[in-house]
Amino acid sequence: MSGARIIWLLLYKGSRRHTVCQGFTRGSTTQHPTQMFRGFVCRYLTGPSASRCTALLYRKHGDPAQVVQSESISLPDVGARSVLVKMLAAPINPSDINMIQGTYAILPDLPAVGGNEGVAQVLDVGSQVKSLEPGDWVIPRDAGLGMWRTAAVLAEGDVISLPRDIPLLSAATLGVNPCTAFRMLTDFEDLKPGDTVIQNAANSAVGQAVIQIAAARGLQTINVIRDRPDVAKLTDSLKAMGASHVIKEETLRQPAMKELFKSFPRPKLALNGVGGKSATELLRHLEVGGSMVTYGGMAKQPVTVPVSALIFKNLKVKGFWVTQWKKNHSQDEGALRTMLDELCSLIRQGKLTAPDCSEVGLQDFHSALDIAMQPFTSVKQIFVM
Amino acid sequence: MKRTISRLIQEKVLFLGQRKYTQAPVTLRQLHFCSALVYRQHGHPHDTVRIEEMALPALGKHSVRLKMLAAPVNPADINMLQGTYPILPMFPAVGGNEGVGEVVEVGSEVTALRPGDWAVPWDAGFGTWRTEAICEAGDLLRVPRNIPLLGAATIGVNPCTAYRMLHDFISLRPGMTVIQNGANSAVGQAVIQIAASLGVKTVNIIRDRPNRHKLENELKLMGADFVITEEELEGLTLDNIIQELPKPVLGLNCVGGRSGGLVLASLCDGGTLVTYGGMAKKTLQVPAKALIFKNITLQGFWLTQWKRNNHEADVRGLQAMVSSVCDLMKSGQLRPPECVQVPFHRYCQALQATVQSQRKKHVLLI
Repeated sequence: MSGARIIWLLLYKGSRRHTVCQGFTRGSTTQHPTQMFRGFVCRYLTGPSASRCTALLYRKHGDPAQVVQSESISLPDVGARSVLVKMLAAPINPSDINMIQGTYAILPDLPAVGGNEGVAQVLDVGSQVKSLEPGDWVIPRDAGLGMWRTAAVLAEGDVISLPRDIPLLSAATLGVNPCTAFRMLTDFEDLKPGDTVIQNAANSAVGQAVIQIAAARGLQTINVIRDRPDVAKLTDSLKAMGASHVIKEETLRQPAMKELFKSFPRPKLALNGVGGKSATELLRHLEVGGSMVTYGGMAKQPVTVPVSALIFKNLKVKGFWVTQWKKNHSQDEGALRTMLDELCSLIRQGKLTAPDCSEVGLQDFHSALDIAMQPFTSVKQIFVM
Repeated sequence: MKRTISRLIQEKVLFLGQRKYTQAPVTLRQLHFCSALVYRQHGHPHDTVRIEEMALPALGKHSVRLKMLAAPVNPADINMLQGTYPILPMFPAVGGNEGVGEVVEVGSEVTALRPGDWAVPWDAGFGTWRTEAICEAGDLLRVPRNIPLLGAATIGVNPCTAYRMLHDFISLRPGMTVIQNGANSAVGQAVIQIAASLGVKTVNIIRDRPNRHKLENELKLMGADFVITEEELEGLTLDNIIQELPKPVLGLNCVGGRSGGLVLASLCDGGTLVTYGGMAKKTLQVPAKALIFKNITLQGFWLTQWKRNNHEADVRGLQAMVSSVCDLMKSGQLRPPECVQVPFHRYCQALQATVQSQRKKHVLLI
């Protein structure tokens, strides 16, 4: 930012109330006169506040290895409706990488702090904050808060509390993937115990959440994974989680599937996180009138849909984006709370566990991002502050 | 496609054999004969379809004798002859799935129809390419005689498909926009006209051709708001070409492949693409982003399935739809497509033309 621009902002914008873009979500806080520009929750110029935090910041889109930097930034005062939080843990998800690369559907104003989910602990609350108190655990209500940092001042309305009696890593990874799995199993087809769901990317965080939530609901799951050296070990671990059946991508195309459907009803619901041929194969096995829901595109290929599947099998092909769901339900306090309560209940019963995580310090972000971008990553990188 | 068909047939999901048709066992008293276009195996129509004399059974209490007046040749009819359609008749089979006939005699317990009435079969597989038929009264729906003959002959499949697609997926209100490809097909033209009657705007995609502007004018006279070529839409997004209309909330696709992709890409967030045909015989390539971030829904529509579902539930739904479409025909808001009328005995010409996907619909005059 040039000196001239800073001076312009000081002179012409200094005294106005701004809505602060925390990333690109809107929250409002009482503005210190030197609070300047949109898109950056921490003031760039130092003011009366003494506290600072370390954050993983990027000023332009591109390869995370190049554009993400660790910086010390100052924190604003805690406004009347804000809370000061200490970040506890924040994972690296594929969508976080896409956002840094600039390929995601919503992009923050720059410079931005990376990371769209995580769990934090409230340290201090503003005078008009009603729903939170120091010690509470909170997670973001929406994407774009920028969670890869040690501390933050966030608007009360931008976070929702979580119980503290669940494991830290579960709390940190609850908001995106388990919620995606929950909604896809709930909102698209009326599934009854004994019904079958088929999915690819079964060992992804969403996939594992699908297995576990489905098992808790008495649903059977057919889980498609890519072949790999330790496929037997992975199969066992998914079955231990509650997977009814685990098959390799290649098996989907074989006549053996007919045998499989003698012991399982044909699936009414298919969940696709991959795209390409994998998705087409899921469609082939769906029951007449069923739905395929796409939530990801890890193969970076379009979903191939045969016309006959739509016309003669009456299949529905839809998509799901948890961020959009959260935005659509932002005024409905109950919806998000109900889902989180149900998920936390499963966690307490031991029926929903976090995916395998590799805990790293914020300072090791280079290697963490690098590992997160490798193919066949089966362990989620998670910053623990 | 073939694997889907064979699996569907194996699973008996869709098989004409369950329906009772006029190929009833011949009784001892053979009162009437008819001429029919018969085939005994699947293959190219030229090789397999022959005109034959067929015996008709005696008229039963619940039966009707129908003198066929006119029956079109539709792409689905050719698919059925070729054996590539998901419902296939038993052999020997009579071709043709829609058409209009005049009731000449009714059985003693038939009340819904009287001699002189015009009637159309409601289900596929009737075998309309024939001079006469004996069928159950319940196989037919009455249509008024004061609509054009060609309108009645072509009402059952394409206008009804258009009608359902405009009513069953999105609650369309005046001023909303629908985009479709294959706009000059029979369904496409019906969509234009029915949408216009509802105050709904249409953006109509056609393939480029030498007489493009003439076709554009014809479609606009029918009520099309915009007519653009696929080539034009390849280069630019719809926003760039048309700014005056709201982004389409409903897309209708009968082509598939790239053309279907163009319709999909033009939809507003949350829009629905309804596929009812696949003339290009190519799959739809759907970008994951369209599903995830633009929340586009893809569905299909098959009129035959709708009719069967609704006939079981409540046959009045079927009659109501046909009546609504007939009303549009009576008021002149819906005209049949330009047809080439072919005498029954010159059926080869009609079949050949449809195999070759000629532009005008061929209708057999019987």
